[in-house]
Amino acid sequence: MTIKYLLTLLFIITTAATQLCMAGSVKGKVAPGKSVVYLEASGAATPVTGKTAVMDQKGLMFAPHILVVQAGTTVEFLNSDKVQHNVFWPHVSGDKKKTHNMGTWPQGQKKPFKFDDPGVVTLLCNVHPEMSGFIIVSPTPYFAETSADGEYNLADVPDGQYTLTAWHEGKKVQSKKITVSGATTADVTLQ
Amino acid sequence: MSTSSNKVQRGKREIWCICLALFLLVPSASRAIPAFARMYQTSCSTCHSDFPKLNDFGKAFKDAGFKFPADDEGMLKIPPTLLGAPAQKEIFPHSIWPGSIPGQPPIGLRMNTFFQKTSGNRGKFDSLTPPGTPAPFIPKTDFSTGLFSIFTAGNFGSDIAFWVDADLNVGGDNTAGGLGDSYLKFVNIGRLGKLPKDALSLRVGRFELDLPFSQARNINISGYDIYDQANIGAVNPLFAQQNVNNQFTMADAMNGIEFSGGHQYGGYHYSIAFVDQNTSGVNQSANVSPFVPSPAGFASDSNFKDIYARVSYRINLERDSTSRNAVQAAGATGPRDHTYINFGSFYFYGRSVQRFSGENLAGTPVVLTAREPFYRAGGDFSFNYRNLNLYGLFMRGHDNDLLPIDSGGGLVPLPIDPAGTVPVAFVHGTPATFTGGFMQADYLVYPWIIAIMRWDAVNSGPDRINGLALTTNSPFALPFRSTRNRITPGIQFLIHANIKASFEYQIRPQQFVTVITNPITGLPIAINPFRTNTAVAALEWVF
Repeated sequence: MTIKYLLTLLFIITTAATQLCMAGSVKGKVAPGKSVVYLEASGAATPVTGKTAVMDQKGLMFAPHILVVQAGTTVEFLNSDKVQHNVFWPHVSGDKKKTHNMGTWPQGQKKPFKFDDPGVVTLLCNVHPEMSGFIIVSPTPYFAETSADGEYNLADVPDGQYTLTAWHEGKKVQSKKITVSGATTADVTLQ
Repeated sequence: MSTSSNKVQRGKREIWCICLALFLLVPSASRAIPAFARMYQTSCSTCHSDFPKLNDFGKAFKDAGFKFPADDEGMLKIPPTLLGAPAQKEIFPHSIWPGSIPGQPPIGLRMNTFFQKTSGNRGKFDSLTPPGTPAPFIPKTDFSTGLFSIFTAGNFGSDIAFWVDADLNVGGDNTAGGLGDSYLKFVNIGRLGKLPKDALSLRVGRFELDLPFSQARNINISGYDIYDQANIGAVNPLFAQQNVNNQFTMADAMNGIEFSGGHQYGGYHYSIAFVDQNTSGVNQSANVSPFVPSPAGFASDSNFKDIYARVSYRINLERDSTSRNAVQAAGATGPRDHTYINFGSFYFYGRSVQRFSGENLAGTPVVLTAREPFYRAGGDFSFNYRNLNLYGLFMRGHDNDLLPIDSGGGLVPLPIDPAGTVPVAFVHGTPATFTGGFMQADYLVYPWIIAIMRWDAVNSGPDRINGLALTTNSPFALPFRSTRNRITPGIQFLIHANIKASFEYQIRPQQFVTVITNPITGLPIAINPFRTNTAVAALEWVF
């Protein structure tokens, strides 16, 4: 009985150690200010299921201004204002075929939309042209918003080949191939 | 040259000057409020479809006293400065009722500039100047300045709204402008008497009448002809004369008070205003008395207060009742202006005053005052379907005519010659009337391109007769016919939400400079009609 327990414990420790050896992290720096980075693995995206997030419209603003979700997440659009709003996006990462208009709905109610396609979604309101917001749909669970000085840290990333993409409002999206092997550093210069 | 010929020449010069003035563009004072955009951190297009034209939300914002119809405090990005804590209300009347002022001065500025091309017929007016006299030159093309205005508006709390606009400079270099509107509006004062919400508001000061289609928020480069129509009776001695000289136009800013209620974006709306009578055109600053001082002269030329009334009803045609009753309709692709049909009518009543040196039957010199009741009445409609807005207005003007007579009962020739026959009384003559209106279609091709087609018409027999006399100023450029039609297609581009490029082609009414005597009737007739069309481009920006 004791031997059986010891063998089981040994198996768990060995497995965990193996996993630890295979999982690295990616650190780096993008431009100063809020940016978003995410990793894309080769092959199909790994959508998540059953996850939700909320994008509010309050005080004639999208809140939060930037929302990062994993592909497969359902975003619930809420109107907290006592004026009518609209949400639409003209494209997803430049693909105009993925344009969508959510229409209008009453104050206090939510309207859901499931984002399956990775990319950058620019949210607009057709009656308040000054309003804008962004949903960054990551193909993997490895994404992060940078700190105010542009630093990021992606933890628990399995070793392997990835494409690191960095997005910053008003700048051109930058992508670079990286190899994650343990603790990895990848800086991105945005233009 | 005979006296009558001299009169004719003088008249021609006067009319020629009038024509010149009319050829030059007189821009309407349109208004859009960037101050609100700053306070709410929102775009001009939140309230304007094509500034200064209001969309449904803009109408609701205005109705509410320059506030968001709901949750205004939550929308303000610059909080107001309190002039008293709200709790001060609890100790009233031992404190001043607390109000507020905007957190920053809500000031907006507006500037426009024009380019005009005038057709070759402009040279035909040269023949109106005496031989050997150089005629004022009308250029074929011309860049000209428009107006530079400052305006401020907002809310002082307790639903008291304010508005002030003034033209610092109007058409022409360094030309002094003047005050436009300046008023306080006590919104929803009906709440004090437990009336339904927004059933009664009070406006006091100087304001544009609650016209069916505002001349001030008119998107066109040129104003509506019918709003600028004064009523000057026929004074041509060869025709039946009229003693009507009413300078009032519907576009005038009025001084007075107004009661109003309802909403512009759905349901009923009404306005009843009592305003100063001033039909003689005398300036407030020039209308002074050496015996009774006034701060800045008198704005009235009569004790009578004119009355304006308007009532309208707008039916929103949305199927969904929630959407139908909301400020904006809930479209499948976002909020939008309702599909609606609006009907309205308006009525203005006054007494045009003219004063003459005369005498009574005993031969004692007296001042004779002719008080000629007049009215302007009309109806209007507006139909909106998605990006198309079709609207129009019809108006009739009617001025009673009091003809001066001498002690023998004979009519005194007009205009009254101070050295001639002295009037002693008045008798009723033929009223001076005119009719007219406009029809316009605005189509939003894109949110930044607006195509416009417009038709103006004014029918005034006295205008034509006065033109034939060539001895008095004609209210329009020597109209060939009693009915003056003007077709004005246009297109406008919003370069930004606050910068607009506008183009207008004015196919003007037929005019004339040649008058002959009809050999059959012996009356003068005009011949050789022509049009002097103009193409006008304007750049306008507010900030």
